[in-house]
Amino acid sequence: MADGASGSAERSVQVKLVLLGEAAVGKSSVVLRFVSNEFQANKEPTIGAAFLTQKCRLEDRVLRYEIWDTAGQERFHSLAPMYYRNAQAAVVVYDVTKASSLEKAKTWVKELQRQANPNIVIALAGNKVDLVQSSTAPAAAATSESEDEADDATATPGEAPASGESDSLRQVPREEAEAYAQEAGLLFFETSAKTGEGIVELFTEIAKKIPIDQILASSRGGAGRPGAAGARAGAQEGVNLEENAAKSKDSCNC
Amino acid sequence: MSTISTQLRNFKEPTKEQQTQLFFALPPDMPRGEKDVELERMECQASLVLSGEEVFAGKLHLLPPYLAFCSLDRKSARFSIPLSTIRRVERLNARAGVYALSLSLYHGMKFVIHITSLRPTADLFCSLLRDALKVELQRGRMKTVKTFVKTCYSEVLVASAENEEKEAEAAKTDDNSSSSESAYLGGLGLKFKFPGDPKKLREASKTKLWTTYLKSHGRNLTLFRYAQCTRLVQVGLPNRLRGEMWETLSGSLYLRYENPDYFENILKENEGRINTATEEIEKDLHRSLPEYSAYQSEEGIASLRKVLQAYSFRNPETGYCQAMNILAAAILIYMSEEQAFWLLEVICDRLLPGYYSPSMHGTLLDQRVFEALVHRCLPILYDHFQQVDVQLSVASLPWFLSLFINSMPMVFAFRIIDCFFCMGPKVLFQVGLAILKINGEDLLQIQDDGGFIQLMREYFSKLGESAHPESSDPRARAITRFQELLLVSFREFAVITDDTIINERRRYRSEIVNSIESFSKRSAVRNLKTLGRFTKEQAGLIYDALFKAICVVPPPATVFPTPALLTTKDGSEERPETRIGLKTFKIFLSEICTWARDERVVTNGVSSRVERNIADHELIDRLFFFWDTSFRGALSFQDLLNGLDGVMFNDLMENIEWFFNLHDKNKDGYLTKDEVLTLSESLLFIFRFEVGDAYLGAVSRFMSNAFEYGDALLPRSDAAEPNDDSPQPQIESNQPYMNLATFRMVVLADEILETFFETDFNSTFKLEPVPLDMPSSNPSVLGSLWSNIASDDNRKFFNIVTDQIGRTIGKHQVYHRPAIGKITSLEEPKARESLLTPTMRHSTSSTSLNTGASDSSTNLATPSVSTSPSLLTVDTPTPKSKISPAEYSPMPTMLQAAANAAAYMERTPFAIDDAKDDEEDTDDESAAEDDGVMDEVDAFLEEHDTGLTDADRELAKDLINAEPV
Repeated sequence: MADGASGSAERSVQVKLVLLGEAAVGKSSVVLRFVSNEFQANKEPTIGAAFLTQKCRLEDRVLRYEIWDTAGQERFHSLAPMYYRNAQAAVVVYDVTKASSLEKAKTWVKELQRQANPNIVIALAGNKVDLVQSSTAPAAAATSESEDEADDATATPGEAPASGESDSLRQVPREEAEAYAQEAGLLFFETSAKTGEGIVELFTEIAKKIPIDQILASSRGGAGRPGAAGARAGAQEGVNLEENAAKSKDSCNC
Repeated sequence: MSTISTQLRNFKEPTKEQQTQLFFALPPDMPRGEKDVELERMECQASLVLSGEEVFAGKLHLLPPYLAFCSLDRKSARFSIPLSTIRRVERLNARAGVYALSLSLYHGMKFVIHITSLRPTADLFCSLLRDALKVELQRGRMKTVKTFVKTCYSEVLVASAENEEKEAEAAKTDDNSSSSESAYLGGLGLKFKFPGDPKKLREASKTKLWTTYLKSHGRNLTLFRYAQCTRLVQVGLPNRLRGEMWETLSGSLYLRYENPDYFENILKENEGRINTATEEIEKDLHRSLPEYSAYQSEEGIASLRKVLQAYSFRNPETGYCQAMNILAAAILIYMSEEQAFWLLEVICDRLLPGYYSPSMHGTLLDQRVFEALVHRCLPILYDHFQQVDVQLSVASLPWFLSLFINSMPMVFAFRIIDCFFCMGPKVLFQVGLAILKINGEDLLQIQDDGGFIQLMREYFSKLGESAHPESSDPRARAITRFQELLLVSFREFAVITDDTIINERRRYRSEIVNSIESFSKRSAVRNLKTLGRFTKEQAGLIYDALFKAICVVPPPATVFPTPALLTTKDGSEERPETRIGLKTFKIFLSEICTWARDERVVTNGVSSRVERNIADHELIDRLFFFWDTSFRGALSFQDLLNGLDGVMFNDLMENIEWFFNLHDKNKDGYLTKDEVLTLSESLLFIFRFEVGDAYLGAVSRFMSNAFEYGDALLPRSDAAEPNDDSPQPQIESNQPYMNLATFRMVVLADEILETFFETDFNSTFKLEPVPLDMPSSNPSVLGSLWSNIASDDNRKFFNIVTDQIGRTIGKHQVYHRPAIGKITSLEEPKARESLLTPTMRHSTSSTSLNTGASDSSTNLATPSVSTSPSLLTVDTPTPKSKISPAEYSPMPTMLQAAANAAAYMERTPFAIDDAKDDEEDTDDESAAEDDGVMDEVDAFLEEHDTGLTDADRELAKDLINAEPV
């Protein structure tokens, strides 16, 4: 489907997206799942940043994600501004089995909110949720974010352990992260790059929140790069796509 | 990012000597044992004369324990050989006027050096060389050569070649080379195959060429490098020889030679140690060149682990940085663990300094240099990148950081690495520029970072293809893109020399350091858990003060916590964080707080200046531990901010409470008598440079009042019957004695202390840096002239001279700038009427306390006895230790007198009446003598009092209203 979409090149919108987060939380794996629907156990650590692209259809529009997957090690932090400048979207990833990774995610969010594009769409993703799948999780999800998680229940392994023993691996309660995300105005998802859970939803919701019309307008205006210009324009009209949540999810081709 | 790196600041340009060492790839000086003699270095003009009548003019360097030579053009001939490989030195006196030495080396090579310097220089050089050789002989280094050389593959190569010749001659078929073969060190490639097709790589012919070269020009320790050597390297090293040649060319061979067993030992010493670095290494072990079969086996992983861990133990400051795993994995294909360890050290510390450090300043610096070179060499492309806002580093950073290994196919990357070790870091820049130049046309079409990356990716994937596929000339068609790349790199960008890189790095260094510092400042402020009541700018000022302090006294090196601690705690706890010790804290505080520094204003009739020193007092130590809320013995930025937040925004009552808590060591809500004394000393310390004796008086009044109150408020053994003659409980000096309410009362009884706690104390904290300039109250033409033109260096001298002049003309004056500085002239100490004055004014006005103790009732006895030691402490330390040395003090005698006066005269004579009297008088007596202040105090007490029990309060009231006897 993605290839078919490329035919309508003029309608395709470039969206620069950056992935940030602590080392080994699975940033690259999330991207790999999204871009090629694969999972590799041993991925080479990212040096500087890896660059990948993926097309994604949202209603009648085609989004071309330009994904910058950054290195997670602390000392690469000072290089990050190079990658998140002009980004229209950011995914800050943490590991649900590692409390410290959420703290690191929070500092990334803080930094993005102060240093990056003022209108950047930020999503918080708690990855490796497959490690903590248990009976309690879907219940909580159903109440809190039913529309996003509903059809995802199929993705959960059938033999979900009944007891909380696997749940003990979890160090970041969903509620806590979600509350934080709400407070900071972020999209929030729990994902598993291994099973694929939540990945497509993550990128779809981001796509919906991006002011596409402005990017289109500004790039047509010949102002140069879509990123900075689109963001500078400011408002958030393009979000009207949100109503058709269920429909658009299917159409996102990843 | 909570670490503050000052290591950037401490960077020093390498000295000329160090540069020479760098050039010859010799190990930096190691700390030597006491026995070792410091051997002199020397260089002299010389020519290397080869048997074939070839002569290279150049310079001969004696750098014990090495002898090095380089031709004038820096490329046609050079060697750096350990002295221990020299077997024989002879002075040749064939022709008059020529000073010639003939040297023979371990590998049987013989060469002649003509020393072309003047005769005395040549003589000196020779005698130094003789001494250095003797030392090597004594150290037994000559014997180590033989065993060391066996670890090198080149020996096998040359030996087997010789064998083959012999075999050919003798037509023998015995295979006796296998016995000697097992000793040499090799990499994983020997077992897991080397990347690339050996036929395509033309391994056999390369090996043959190298065998010939190594046979005639020395090998490993004794390699002579001629232009042919560089050319052979550029063609690509044969796989089996590659590891050893990397070692030899980069100089890591010398490190391995000088430090036998070091690698094994450092691993043994640190066995089982777990720290942040080892954890990070563990995460990446399976992610390093995972497509190479060795790293899918436990053997390869174990080797990689050993090398990376050993490096992180050797250099804990760098520890482990992602990309090092890729380097280590790559070089391990061609060399043993020990070899790889030393080569990694040379890469990280010498060839790419600062690349993998926690701030990655080397990487950032070289990216900046690369950008500048692109600007200079490829201006059109640079302008285009500027125009479409594409950042070079998005693509070039990984090139430099992982030596192209994860950018292009490995076989090509290794060829670039061959050149990198042979010709130095300039190769990376040359290749980088060549890549851009070759792709220039296409690059001018790109519009954004993404396009740039993709174009580069495509180019790298096609490096093996023909560069000119359409060409009619088959020879041109045969040239691959990679060959074209090297050609362009070394032909067109030959202008980029070692010096270019050194100069460019020097030029952009401070820019990079500044941007790293401002970045880490921003993120340090941003990452604070709380700003307290400070604004971001104020937090920035605190950071500046902290940074300044750290520059003066760096914090102690981070000690690795024991493994047990690490495993029990959450990972976030262990994130490295800059914490400062007491010494640094003192400097920090002196930046912010006026009483934490001694400022001497010196006037000498010609000029005036301020000299600032760091004060040292128990109060500052106390503050340090008071702010160390997590009991780590060190303070973080956050701790300092919290601490300052707790003191800088206080009002009167909060300040009093803060001061009380600061001195209440066990936090039980009570000060002991000792603590009351310490508190008084703290006050005296803060007031030490105040003009006049008003503050002194205030402190002494405070002390006497404090002890009177304290004693009066002691819980009696039987509170219900105050009439009893039961003896007052004896209170030890370390027992709980005074609570906050009482302390507050005592403080508010004094006007000076009250204003001090209300406003003055807060104003002793100033975040904005106070410049050392003198207020221009006394401008003298000469002085201001000098301060305008003087530099830091000559200013010191100028000051000494003018001080002398000032002394002789009697105008030399030094006074200390006070911490508060409110009172500018001597005034009559104006004591607020003490709460209890009415009583004593009448009762004990004529009797001293001591006498009062003897003739008073039993109830009176205890307080006065306990008071007297306190009086003693006021008397004795005040004039001696709290007043600055007499020679600096403008009016020593007056201060002394004032101190004495304060101690003896200003002390309000005071005694406590009988409990009986209190009983009788309270009811009907109105507080007639109380002035408005008293009411105020009362109101305060009512409002803020928490510590007093009802009985206490009652008692206090009684005391206030007490009627004169």
